[in-house]
Amino acid sequence: MEYVRKLMDRVSVEGVKIELLNTAYGNGNTFLARLDPRTLFLWYLYFGIAPWFIHNEVLLLGMFLLLAVTTMMSRVSPLIIVILCLGLLSQAGYLFIVSWLFGGGGETIMPLLKLTMKLSVISMASITVFCSMDPEKLSDGLLRIGVPKQVSFGIAYGYRMLPSLVEEYHHIFLSFRLRGVAPSRHGLLYWRSIVYFLKIAVLSFYPLILSIAKRTRTTVEALEAKGFSYAYHSREAKRIKLSYMKFTIRDAVFLLGSGLYVVLLYVLAAQFSI
Amino acid sequence: MYQDRTLLQEAETTEPDWIAMIDNVTFTYPGAEAPVLNGVSLQIKRGDFVAVIGGNGSGKSTLCKTLNGLIPHYYVGDFEGSVQVNGLQTLEHDVARLSRHVGYVYQDFENQLIRPTVLDDASFAPLNYGFEDYLERGQRALRLVDLTADPKEFIWQLSGGQKHQLALAGAVSLDPDILIIDEPVAQLDPRHARDIYELLRRLNEQHGKTIIVIEHHTEFIAEYCKQVVLMDQGRAVWSKPVEEALLELEQLRSSQIYPPQVTQAAAELAKIQERDSAGMDDREPNLGCFGLGLPHLASYPITLDEAAAYFQRLQQLEPLEPQKERSGLIGIAAGHVADAGAVAIKEASGISSIKDASNIAAVSGANAATGKAGMAGEGANCPERRVTSGNTEANTDVNTDANTDVDMGINADANTDAAPIIEAKHVRFSYRTVSRERKVVLRDVSATFRTGDLVALVGNNGAGKSSFMRLITGVTKPESGRIVVKGMDTAATAPEQLANTVTYIYQNPEEMFIEDSIRKDVEFFLKARRVEGYKEKVDAILESFGLTELQHRDGRLLSGGQQRRASLAIGVAMNPSVILLDEPTANLDIATRKDITRLLKQLNRHVETVIVATHDMQLVAEWANRIIVMHQGDIIRDGTRESVFGDAGLLEQAGLRAPQILELSRRLGMSPLSYTVDEFAQRWNESRKGAARHGVCT
Repeated sequence: MEYVRKLMDRVSVEGVKIELLNTAYGNGNTFLARLDPRTLFLWYLYFGIAPWFIHNEVLLLGMFLLLAVTTMMSRVSPLIIVILCLGLLSQAGYLFIVSWLFGGGGETIMPLLKLTMKLSVISMASITVFCSMDPEKLSDGLLRIGVPKQVSFGIAYGYRMLPSLVEEYHHIFLSFRLRGVAPSRHGLLYWRSIVYFLKIAVLSFYPLILSIAKRTRTTVEALEAKGFSYAYHSREAKRIKLSYMKFTIRDAVFLLGSGLYVVLLYVLAAQFSI
Repeated sequence: MYQDRTLLQEAETTEPDWIAMIDNVTFTYPGAEAPVLNGVSLQIKRGDFVAVIGGNGSGKSTLCKTLNGLIPHYYVGDFEGSVQVNGLQTLEHDVARLSRHVGYVYQDFENQLIRPTVLDDASFAPLNYGFEDYLERGQRALRLVDLTADPKEFIWQLSGGQKHQLALAGAVSLDPDILIIDEPVAQLDPRHARDIYELLRRLNEQHGKTIIVIEHHTEFIAEYCKQVVLMDQGRAVWSKPVEEALLELEQLRSSQIYPPQVTQAAAELAKIQERDSAGMDDREPNLGCFGLGLPHLASYPITLDEAAAYFQRLQQLEPLEPQKERSGLIGIAAGHVADAGAVAIKEASGISSIKDASNIAAVSGANAATGKAGMAGEGANCPERRVTSGNTEANTDVNTDANTDVDMGINADANTDAAPIIEAKHVRFSYRTVSRERKVVLRDVSATFRTGDLVALVGNNGAGKSSFMRLITGVTKPESGRIVVKGMDTAATAPEQLANTVTYIYQNPEEMFIEDSIRKDVEFFLKARRVEGYKEKVDAILESFGLTELQHRDGRLLSGGQQRRASLAIGVAMNPSVILLDEPTANLDIATRKDITRLLKQLNRHVETVIVATHDMQLVAEWANRIIVMHQGDIIRDGTRESVFGDAGLLEQAGLRAPQILELSRRLGMSPLSYTVDEFAQRWNESRKGAARHGVCT
């Protein structure tokens, strides 16, 4: 019971909020976080896409190792890792069961493993990149490479609103609990309680949407007064805003290092095969 | 129109430096039927500190939005007339241009913070306007508003007061000449409220900013503002220097504005005495005395200092010695601040028996600091004197808050007999912050609540008030210690089940609206529990809260006062034994506040225990029969209002401020202290009559 309580504390709405914020903003001091966003975009361009077209096991395994290291370097919250593993395992497990039911056998394991490997490489690349850039950096980076200002602003503002939204959602959720009736019996495998909680979890979104709509009015007026739409047409403002971005030796080392490693992998892959 | 013309004439003769000129402006919001501004004309002097007052819907905020161009550029309604700001016609310049002359801080300032970190937000506007040195400008703004938080701190880590400062920093970052602040103190505790006004004063006096506040609290207006504009039905009725404006008692009252308590007291006294002297011809020789004592309307005091001087002058006009001996109502008692315990006994003994009085003495003695326990004990040693003085009071103070006295009687009985409703024992509570540290909110809190307790939970922001109330509802569980509500341990009981006994009313009523109409919200609890005949019950409740007309409207779209009434109705419909209210009077104009206070006073007829967390010291003084002061997660005082408001050190420590009238009666050395204006007027008048009867004045 005590263990369940502790777990509940972790997965409570508050807990989720804290994990989310930490994932978004909490990793500002790692090596990767100090890279220029454009470096990370370039890097992601290769590691996020290339694995789809690679079928060589040695290459994939090598990339997997590299990305496992970069993921660790970006100090991701354990929650994200757990979610990743769950996703990969359930995906692979489900495919294996399906193929086995439809006449596949031991020989299906290998291709499935390969697919899982590809997926995990791509997922880890995404985690590395997006956990190393806080939303600010991400939005500035996108702006720099020519994504419209609304999109980049939306990312930054969305994250800034996140804690208040979660908090408000929590309050509404509690409002339901403070006035509602919980099922008197939990039912088999707690199904009654689960249905009850799922129901209010969904219902709580409606009041939330309405109250956000109301809040936004002040925000939009404030944006107007703070010259947001004025800056939209001003190249000057964009230049000043992004002037802090610079490629440094760090970026070069990172890109060159990764490049060399990949080249080495190709050499290895040409000589050995599994 | 007449007033408008006089304003214009004044402009022609003296020609001051007007920073804003609003000329005959009429504005209708798109889709609305009636205009919000209806031919308003107003001038504002450069370097002035202006308060805009007026009832709900009088057009205060709309007026202010014409100054930074949001009207007519952003809200494209029907706009007539002209507005000139710092020499710019607002019709010809857009919001972006005008915003460099006018900074605006909203009432819901949290929504105005756009960027995630402190410095980022403060320098957002300079960046948008393309200033190369935007970071320095942001830093300068932060220094200007005295925000000492780490510039890299995330805004959700800031306290309410700091967020307000940051919103202000964002507004001053472009170095505008005019600053508009919509209800600066509505969401702040008393100490932060004063801090903000001190800050505004500095911006006004040292940096030459023209400050415009929309404000309901006349006590702040009297102390800080220079000029007052009264809005009514979309027009500026007048614009007057503050000393004149706050004495327009009739006009203020008809706009639901209440003058400072000290002004009310002086006016009240004048009225009583005018009535007395008019009605009693045989008192001819004394009239001179009354005339001397009460100068005419123009010189009522508006600030505490003025009031102290004003009433002291009156005191000096009539020696008080003989009457002090007679009734002990007004005495310039030395060191009276410390005699809280004794005062408590005296007041209570006005109605309770000696036994009850000693009970209270024991209670307040136990709760008070050691020095005070001595005082209380001293009181208990001489019961005869107490009874005499108590009787005198009972005879003379016919109209003083009888309610409170009765409540005190109940409290004294309850302390000995009834079973506790809520029992909190050594409760500790903490939560995880974003930086994954645990923040301790409650250290070791123990308290017992019984039937008849009307408890005010006070203390500055972050003292742990809300956390404590949430623990009682069962939505959060104590880390150690336990809370038992009517025999149910909250740690082992679901909040749904506790809800049959306890109701918690949120600080922000909007978070209680989970349905799309008030009626559905009120009936939610009853319907979920399939209560027989709930429809009739809901009808009755809606009626008694004046919501019948509004029952099919969405709660979110109501005005602040209506929302608050609706949230109370939702709570009462749950038919609880315990009702917990979080800041029930925050963000309300004074008239609505009075309305809510009235509803609160009715609550104890249905409910066994009411606990209110509040910054509103007038509410505390008028309503509560027990005050719990919290500070940094601990209860530092649990006692009567005498033991709290009589202890200046305690108030200072907890960041509280006594109501103005209480402070005045303290400065005048009145004993016992007066908690309401009526009480003050009554006591003062009685003492004067006493003095007059003895012919002191001849």
